[in-house]
Amino acid sequence: MSRGETAESLQIAGPLQVGEPLLPERISDITGLGEFGVAGELTAAFLAAFLVGNLMLAMTGVAGPWAKRKITAAFTDRIAVNRAGPAGLFIIVADAVRLLSKENIIPEDADRPAYDLAPIVVASSAMLGFAVIPMGSGVQLADPEVGLVFVFAVAGIASLGLVMAGYASANKYSMLGGLRAVAQNVAYEIPLVVTGMSVVIFAGSLQMSTIVDAQTQTLLDLGIVSIPAWYALVNPFAFVLFLVANFAEVGRNPFDTPEAPTEIVAGYQTEYSSVYFVLIYLGEFLHIFLGGAIIATIFLGGPAGPGPEQLGIVWFLIKIWGVFMLTQWLRSAVPRVRIDQLIEIGWKGLLVLSFANLVLTAVIVGLIA
Amino acid sequence: MRFEPPNVTEMNEWIAVGMLAFVGLLIPLGMMAVSYLIRPSVPETSKRATYESGEVPTGGTRIRFNIQYYMVALLFLIFDIETVLLFPWAVVYLDAVESDAVSLAEILGPMLIFVAILLVGLAWAWRSGAVQWARSPFQVEAEADRP
Repeated sequence: MSRGETAESLQIAGPLQVGEPLLPERISDITGLGEFGVAGELTAAFLAAFLVGNLMLAMTGVAGPWAKRKITAAFTDRIAVNRAGPAGLFIIVADAVRLLSKENIIPEDADRPAYDLAPIVVASSAMLGFAVIPMGSGVQLADPEVGLVFVFAVAGIASLGLVMAGYASANKYSMLGGLRAVAQNVAYEIPLVVTGMSVVIFAGSLQMSTIVDAQTQTLLDLGIVSIPAWYALVNPFAFVLFLVANFAEVGRNPFDTPEAPTEIVAGYQTEYSSVYFVLIYLGEFLHIFLGGAIIATIFLGGPAGPGPEQLGIVWFLIKIWGVFMLTQWLRSAVPRVRIDQLIEIGWKGLLVLSFANLVLTAVIVGLIA
Repeated sequence: MRFEPPNVTEMNEWIAVGMLAFVGLLIPLGMMAVSYLIRPSVPETSKRATYESGEVPTGGTRIRFNIQYYMVALLFLIFDIETVLLFPWAVVYLDAVESDAVSLAEILGPMLIFVAILLVGLAWAWRSGAVQWARSPFQVEAEADRP
């Protein structure tokens, strides 16, 4: 490429680039895969998806065997894993090997195809949600206009997997757990989506990048620091509602009744062992992180934070780990609600409050604007 | 000067979404393959018995289950469709308010009526005890005692 051409392409690249290039496009640029037509596109998209998928896998790897134990231990004044590696971090490898090398015991009455498919459904549906999340530093796989609806829809698939697991195990605890899981997801899905809708009123778009961009405006200027218009600060009521509905949707304390260990052993995962257990566990952690990612994106400014823009992904990870810490805090500090209380909180409390929030937000926005 | 597309290749973004779905399947399948290679298999019938806290399993699992909660499933369907219908309204709301072409009552009114109708439905379900996990026996008796 001659010097003249480079200058020309640089000139043109400026005004034509509407949004930031997405991760697959960047990868095809860096590697030169863009020149190979459809095959190159597919390879670049695969590489980008592989990167994002494994980033999430690594995060669940740190969260599940290590961080969860350490946090719970800190709350109950213990030390937890500290033998292998610095701060016991190598327990992740040990646990992965230990769990994968367990014998896979399949109950004799299990419905085979459904029993085997359920862990895959739970794990991969949670993974798919990350496709539209803007993680900062240019790490975003896709940015469709229906982003927010897509992520809600994909996150909802997991309850199908939970019912499959609960029914196919042919175990009474699993059956109860599966039914509880679907009742809970049904009860909290509407408050979650309706509260998310009140954010759409502010942003005027379902596209994730637009929602993040809208939060970069300044809410308050305090001289030295200017507070950004993160929707958690603009509408704290919606933020709290969304947090509560989110914990119920991903089945975390105090709403972990579908797998309440003191009542129904482990709920829908009672009969799962070995790699299937790992996959269901993986799906649950991915769901916590997906919930955290949605919260970070629509309420906490996504990858926004002090410092240069390249630090975006660091801030994003800090935010979703913050949500994860909150789930673990609640796990140690808040008692579990009963299943009938859970249903009543959902249908009689959160649903009504979320509609109140939507109507009030619409009225206030209408009157101010 | 003719505008050439910038150096950055434009791709259909759903390709990447599809690829993440593929990777999302590949990772569980890969873990299952690894596990298949390293795990032992010691077949034994009593091991595969349904877990009932160590007792001998009694009765089947596919029992009849309280059907009362199906009302809530119907309610969920209605509210879910309602959110689908409300999303387009939420997207255009701010633009419509700022455009001054239509009055606020015209933008807000239909949505308020829509939500109000559904909330009446919720109130009915609430009163008739549909949005409960199960009716307690006391409640049923109390209703039966009514003149």
